[in-house]
Amino acid sequence: MQKFFSSRKLVIVIVCLIISFGMMTLSVAIRNKQNTPPIIQQFGNDIVGFADRIVATPMNGIDHGFVSVKNLLNTYQENQQLKSKVDQLTQTQVKDQVLERENKQLKRQLNVGNTLTGYQKINAAVITRTPSSWASQVIINKGQAAGVKKDMPVIAGPGLIGTIAEVNKTNSKVVLVSNTAENSNRFAIQIVGKDGKVVNGIITSYDSQSNRIVMGNITSKAKLSKGNRVTTSGLGGVIPKGIYVGTVSKVAQDDYGLAKKVYIKPAANLNDIEVVSIAVKD
Amino acid sequence: MKRRVPIAAIFIIGLFIAFFLDGSISQMFSGTLFKYPNALVPNLTLLWLILAVFFGNTQKLHLELWAAVIGFIFDMYYTGLLGVYVFIFPLVVYLCYTVYQMLPPNFLSGFLVYFLGITVLVSLGFVANAFIGEADASISEFMVNTLAPTLALNLVFMALSYFPIGALYRSHKR
Repeated sequence: MQKFFSSRKLVIVIVCLIISFGMMTLSVAIRNKQNTPPIIQQFGNDIVGFADRIVATPMNGIDHGFVSVKNLLNTYQENQQLKSKVDQLTQTQVKDQVLERENKQLKRQLNVGNTLTGYQKINAAVITRTPSSWASQVIINKGQAAGVKKDMPVIAGPGLIGTIAEVNKTNSKVVLVSNTAENSNRFAIQIVGKDGKVVNGIITSYDSQSNRIVMGNITSKAKLSKGNRVTTSGLGGVIPKGIYVGTVSKVAQDDYGLAKKVYIKPAANLNDIEVVSIAVKD
Repeated sequence: MKRRVPIAAIFIIGLFIAFFLDGSISQMFSGTLFKYPNALVPNLTLLWLILAVFFGNTQKLHLELWAAVIGFIFDMYYTGLLGVYVFIFPLVVYLCYTVYQMLPPNFLSGFLVYFLGITVLVSLGFVANAFIGEADASISEFMVNTLAPTLALNLVFMALSYFPIGALYRSHKR
């Protein structure tokens, strides 16, 4: 049997460890400070991303096939349910249009320019997902070239799913709200209670056991109840106001009994994302 | 007679396909694989590397070098955190190679060695991510919710692909 840890090997292991820690610290520092990764990394990511499409496209095609068949089987039932909702929707839409026009006119009269609510959308498809249990990341097929910037919010279906973490030329990484890392998911959000009072706060963590977003450190006395809607508040930079996040599922005391902790059920299914849109503030 | 594709080329192309399949499978079946609170992480890249350890010629294929290359691409493309898998992949390949040399070459010892390899890979990945605050689960949570399901999934993949890939390498030996 050969000797497993000769002194030469030990030196190699230690050198590797040092290089590894150095590189990790460096990439974390770059990710936290700069808007884009270094040009070499960007270039590499673009090439790999391109090659990935060759494999990912047929795989996603197969997936679409299965989903289509499944959808077909549910169609009748769904159709019944949706029909009953259509009338309501048209009414809301018309009302929405009228209100929007009125809002615009009022804003013009008041000389208010763009408020926090306005945003444009960039649509993108998901290429692949990071095969890792803690880094909840997906990679999408739009990057710098399409106008994507770091920290922009990403929406899928009904609500917010995450933010852009890294931007390359033709693809970018989206960190989902289900990521448990300390440095991610700090969204400014607000909850409108039953009595019309607004509670502002930020997402502090994510409870992976029950799939709930946690909004911590709330000292407001406003009464919140299950089912209250949560939206982004537009405070603090790049994220526009009024993106739907989810509904309140539980209100609890925090560990020290001083502040409240609100558990929020995310609106979008974080594990079934195919197409996303990136919200760009006006 | 048709010229045969050298095994080294097949190995490299297969390595990249396995690499991309990891992400694609995670994306396609994310509803099942990442259902809360468990996480079943496919590791086809490592599977392909380890099967090359079992059946191929480690020196001729420059396995450790390719493990480092694919590890670097993995870091860059999937996680964006450099310096993790670029060292873990070659280490696991080396470890599996060393252990496999001591065992009789059959399916069961391969199974055992792959079990060891996945455990080392996932655990070291967890340690590295915990170190920079990317993973914040406790060790018991990690073992139950990540390591055990991941091992189960990957051992199934291994059992399915052991004999076909073995046949592929054997047909190129002659």
